[in-house]
Amino acid sequence: MQGAIEINQERCKGCRLCAVACPLGLLDLAKRKVNRKGYPYVEQHDKEKCTGCTACAIVCPDGCISVYREGGLRRAKVPQQTTPEVFQTAYTESEKGNQLPHPEEAQSSQEVHLMKGNEAIAHAAIRCGCDGYFGYPITPQSEILETLTQLKPWETTGMVVLQAESEVAAINMLYGGGGSGKRVMTSSSSPGIALMQEGISYMTITEIPTLIINVQRGGPGLGTIQPSQSDYRQATVGGGNGDYRVIVLAPWSVQEMADFVDLGFELAFKYRNPVMMLSDGVIGQMMEKVILPTPKPRRTEEQIAKECPWATNGHGLKGRKPNILTSLEMIPLEMERRNLEMQKKYAQVERDEVRYESYQTEDAEYLIMAFGSIARISMEVVGILRSKGIRIGLLRPITLWPFPEKEVARLGKQVKGIIVAEMNAGQMIDDVRKAVCGSTKVIHFGRLGGVVPEPNEIISQFEQDFL
Amino acid sequence: MTREDIIRPENLVYGKPQLMNDVSMHYCPGCSHGVVHKLVAEIIAEMGMEEKTIGICPVGCAVFAYRYIDIDWQEAAHGRAPAVATACKRLWDDRLVFTYQGDGDLACIGTCETIHTLNRGEKITIIFINNAIYGMTGGQMAPTTLMGMKTSTCPYGREPQLHGYPLNITDIAASLEGTAFVSRQSVHTTSAIRKAKQAIRHAFENSMNGIGSNLVEIVSTCSSGWKTSPVKANEWMEEHMFEHYKIGDLKDTVHP
Repeated sequence: MQGAIEINQERCKGCRLCAVACPLGLLDLAKRKVNRKGYPYVEQHDKEKCTGCTACAIVCPDGCISVYREGGLRRAKVPQQTTPEVFQTAYTESEKGNQLPHPEEAQSSQEVHLMKGNEAIAHAAIRCGCDGYFGYPITPQSEILETLTQLKPWETTGMVVLQAESEVAAINMLYGGGGSGKRVMTSSSSPGIALMQEGISYMTITEIPTLIINVQRGGPGLGTIQPSQSDYRQATVGGGNGDYRVIVLAPWSVQEMADFVDLGFELAFKYRNPVMMLSDGVIGQMMEKVILPTPKPRRTEEQIAKECPWATNGHGLKGRKPNILTSLEMIPLEMERRNLEMQKKYAQVERDEVRYESYQTEDAEYLIMAFGSIARISMEVVGILRSKGIRIGLLRPITLWPFPEKEVARLGKQVKGIIVAEMNAGQMIDDVRKAVCGSTKVIHFGRLGGVVPEPNEIISQFEQDFL
Repeated sequence: MTREDIIRPENLVYGKPQLMNDVSMHYCPGCSHGVVHKLVAEIIAEMGMEEKTIGICPVGCAVFAYRYIDIDWQEAAHGRAPAVATACKRLWDDRLVFTYQGDGDLACIGTCETIHTLNRGEKITIIFINNAIYGMTGGQMAPTTLMGMKTSTCPYGREPQLHGYPLNITDIAASLEGTAFVSRQSVHTTSAIRKAKQAIRHAFENSMNGIGSNLVEIVSTCSSGWKTSPVKANEWMEEHMFEHYKIGDLKDTVHP
């Protein structure tokens, strides 16, 4: 007797591939017997004839067969063993370096630059220790990718910059990068963001932190390349499937475009959820003064392992259970449990992360509400109307979700009316109406399809409805 | 020497790979996936890459691959595994990154990501299970379904006027400048399995040595979808599949 096999008959599914593979024909299904799963299983007969050739075990798809042979592995052909050190990766983390992008600028970090909002995002990303940008060109935000490729951060901070084959690929690259614990971001404009919705939905249930920038343009469809705010609803209530939320930041200046990159990453990792910066073509394209964030290094592998013990990068696998990021659950109760966990998290975000800015609301009899670029136009409206003796103030939500519901409700009781100015057909107004709950009159002003209004258009609407 | 003398730990010459856990796999009896899973688990351990591997699962039968091999996994959206893998590898260049995809995921909904990832020469490996049918959704026509082959969505057999032609994406991959190693193997016999293992190992080593993108197609069976027994499915594969999907290395820039 040279060899012997052990068959895990509970694991066996009775496919009989081993029976075909055995050169001596020693295996076949046990007659009229099934295992606990109901599968017929394989048995060995004439056991003393077994040579331990391993053929049966090699072809077994379920790994049910263990093979023993006299002399063991000494007489078996052992596969070549290696260790990770033998492999020559194109470059290693240390060679690639993790230098600060502009060491000389770290001292003069208060230096004022003049640049486009889109360019500010690119500079801020490099300075915020962003590990990777993945995106696809689309007007009016292509300067983000263009600036990044000009700055070549892979030579300084080691930040990866990749032009993806589509927005669909880009968002899934974020899934991979964020899922492995890295700070990754993408940017696009409305039609491209629409393509990303599936990926965003996946990243919420798998709790992958990423930053997505939408420099909005007019829609629907290809629409125009001019500025718009018609993706408010898509951003705040979610354009993908399932019960999820994305934290939405609405910058109104080039400075905030720069500042919200780091804030976006902080919030994304704090809550393990995608964060969207909902900008528009005005802020993306206009040039303005900006103080760029103080450079900080990208996180090391050890820092990532500490901050993101859930990340799928293999780090320390031998001392822990495998990390698995999946949105699929076969058991509805388990899926409900995961959903409820998400909702708990969202309740915390709604409690702790509301951000807004008020301007002359203390004595206001009327309120104008606006976010992003139209909030700047609304500032002027406030000035003009105040000069006419009308006490009006501005409330600018900075987080669109979580929406500053309490502050809107409070002001709703104070004022005679609220005009909601948006570059859409009336989207944020739904949240305003919900918040004031009938306590004051709420009217809409909007221009659609990429048209940016003049202050006097908003004033006319205001006067028509309220005076 | 008695059976008891032989069945001792020191005499073990082959068993379920250590990285493969005891969870019973959901695959149908005789499914090729199980064999390929074993090979992947064996190779990762042999390369000492347990703590440096990121696996990307597809949508399809192998969606639950993460349940069986104890490494870190990400489950990608349908067809997007190569994009997910691209970012993982670019951001973790000392990691072994591979995707594991079926014909629907890779050659249909994910064709764009597959072609572009391979053509960019990402330092990853794509393992492509081609059984010419949609397994998990219940036997529908795949892009790789052979002419005349019957599925639940071409019940009278695939014909060009109605369904177009089988897509040989591995041949396309071999024609791309970005690919380093493109091979087509099968796992229906012990010798085929050994060759398939060599191919996957070669692809994994290329990935770790920063050489091109690598694609290993495994021409596979689907006894449930093909409505036959596992043994007959292997015979049918040899008879019909190999004619259209020829076994062998299509491209090897390391050992030309």
